[in-house]
Amino acid sequence: MTSLRARAVTGGILWAVAIIVLGLAGLASYLSSQTQARFVEVLETRHSQAIVAVSNNSDAASDLVRAIGDLVYQVPNSGQYWQVESADGTIYASPSLGEERLPRPTGRSFERLRREFTGPNAEPVFAFGQWVTVPDGSTWHVQVASSLSSFEQEQAVLRNTLLTAFAFVSLASVLAALMQVAVVLRPLNQLRQEVSGRWEQEDGLEVASYPVEVAPLVNDINTLMERNRDIMRRSRRQAADLAHAIKTPSAIMRNELDTLMSQGADVQEATDALDRLDAQLRRSFARMRADGTDATVGVATDLDTSLGRMRRAFSALARNESKTFKATYAEGLRVRMDQSDFEEVMGNLLDNALKWATSEVRLDAGQTPDGQIMITISDDGPGIPKEELEKATQSGQRLDTSKPGTGLGLAIAHDLIHAYGGKIILSRDDDLGGLAVHMRLPFATAKRSD
Amino acid sequence: MRILIAEDEPVLASQLKKTLMSEGLTVDVAIDGAEAQYLGETEPYDVIILDLGLPIRDGLTVLKNLRSGGNDTSILILTARNDWTDRVDGLDAGADDYLTKPFHMAELSARVRALIRRKAGKATPVFSKNEVTFDTRTNQVMVDGVPTNLTSQEIAVLSYLFHNSGRLVSRTELSDHIYQHDGDRDSNTIAVFVNRLRKKLGSDLIETVRGRGYVIKATA
Repeated sequence: MTSLRARAVTGGILWAVAIIVLGLAGLASYLSSQTQARFVEVLETRHSQAIVAVSNNSDAASDLVRAIGDLVYQVPNSGQYWQVESADGTIYASPSLGEERLPRPTGRSFERLRREFTGPNAEPVFAFGQWVTVPDGSTWHVQVASSLSSFEQEQAVLRNTLLTAFAFVSLASVLAALMQVAVVLRPLNQLRQEVSGRWEQEDGLEVASYPVEVAPLVNDINTLMERNRDIMRRSRRQAADLAHAIKTPSAIMRNELDTLMSQGADVQEATDALDRLDAQLRRSFARMRADGTDATVGVATDLDTSLGRMRRAFSALARNESKTFKATYAEGLRVRMDQSDFEEVMGNLLDNALKWATSEVRLDAGQTPDGQIMITISDDGPGIPKEELEKATQSGQRLDTSKPGTGLGLAIAHDLIHAYGGKIILSRDDDLGGLAVHMRLPFATAKRSD
Repeated sequence: MRILIAEDEPVLASQLKKTLMSEGLTVDVAIDGAEAQYLGETEPYDVIILDLGLPIRDGLTVLKNLRSGGNDTSILILTARNDWTDRVDGLDAGADDYLTKPFHMAELSARVRALIRRKAGKATPVFSKNEVTFDTRTNQVMVDGVPTNLTSQEIAVLSYLFHNSGRLVSRTELSDHIYQHDGDRDSNTIAVFVNRLRKKLGSDLIETVRGRGYVIKATA
């Protein structure tokens, strides 16, 4: 069973069933024995009263009906009966017996005997009978009986009442279990929300805000998050170091080849091989970067800062080529991307735009109504023909070889944006006439103020 | 024109130096960040080529230190790192241009020339005055359309004066910009170079302001 809630509810139900079965059995048996004792006690009292009545009226037995005057004996089939028999076999009985008679025990016991037998109307009855010798010396058999059906009815009512009460108790205990589960699970829910919603907080989760039972888990999650960030940082650094280690020798080889070529040697094949090597390296490093990007790890980039840097850097580069670069963006925007990844995307695309632009490159950033960040980079260069727009973002596609570069910029931007769940669309810019690159990037929630 | 190459890889540094010197530029090499900053602060370079991955003091720190010290020499950063963040860091810290490794030497020298030209406020790579034209891309000097052979020192003097045309340049400044940091300097030899240039290119191209220096007057 994987659900904690289901476990708790099942536990609650089993507990309630145990309470009902044990409690009901115990209580019912106690109450039943109490009722039975009272029933017997009442009948004993009635028997004693009947004996007293016989003693007082042994000379005029016909007065017994009056003497044992309780109303319940008067009503026919009331379930309460008495029957008195003289030594000579004359039987006096309560009017409630009508024509029926109670059976007499065979022995002649002067002890009070309790018996159960089938009485009038085939009802089970409980009876006390005893031979008594009255003061005038005569002996009588005095018997009182009470129908058990009323007793059993009483027992049934008791059982029903108890069952109803216990049903309520068990329902309440299941509800209580549910509530308890909700309360107990609340920190776990909070944890889940924080883990999914607050990854971007570099400072991790606040261990102190969790119960002691959950705190170790929160601690572990923090450690994992930190380790994850560490691994990412380390692998990036390693990739960068590797790139650095390979690129300088590659530059040296290229220069040697250039020198040889200027001296008339045929180095075309070696140059091509080196070009392929460089392109492959650049591609692999870009791929490593995109693969090493875990969009769930807490990252966010402040566009005020990052686009500000881009604006200053590319304004300078544009000036070098007597071109202009304009960046327009709303304040306070944040994207859920690592800053170096975001700048990698912007750098590649702006570099492309600047390379192709005749005189102007523009960057516009804003927020869409559904909360995403929309960035458009456009230029007044030749653009890309409609039929080649899609091909342009595929890896390593170089549409035009007339300008330097490996043609990877768009592909790198495409891979990185996809790694973060964003979108990139190319089109013709209506205003400037060149290429427009539209990017839809995930929005990052505002930084906590504390 | 004096260039500082700050690059710790000796082979690459020597390749760079060879290429730039073959184009008539005067080149010093610094092999670590501390030396690069020291030379940058004390010598009047026209362009500094600064590798970001320098030992002792990284290139970005050197760049920031130079800029915060008021040094406005054109700086071209070289980086082997893929990351745009590194390049933007450099540009944002005041670099004028960047080049990523591996690069073509031709690309590098074109960038260096463009930086020199931009600093001089010249839009075109070809200077001309009277009947003399000087193509900074090839160091080709023509008089009335006829190519003229000049020595590398002569080209260095002519190039510096052309890039600073309209401005009086002292002998000291000239020698500062055409001699290496540890080279023998003799400002009298400047006068020798100028005389040779006059003989080859005509006496009215370079004017002497007695006791102060030389000037190529700006074309109207």
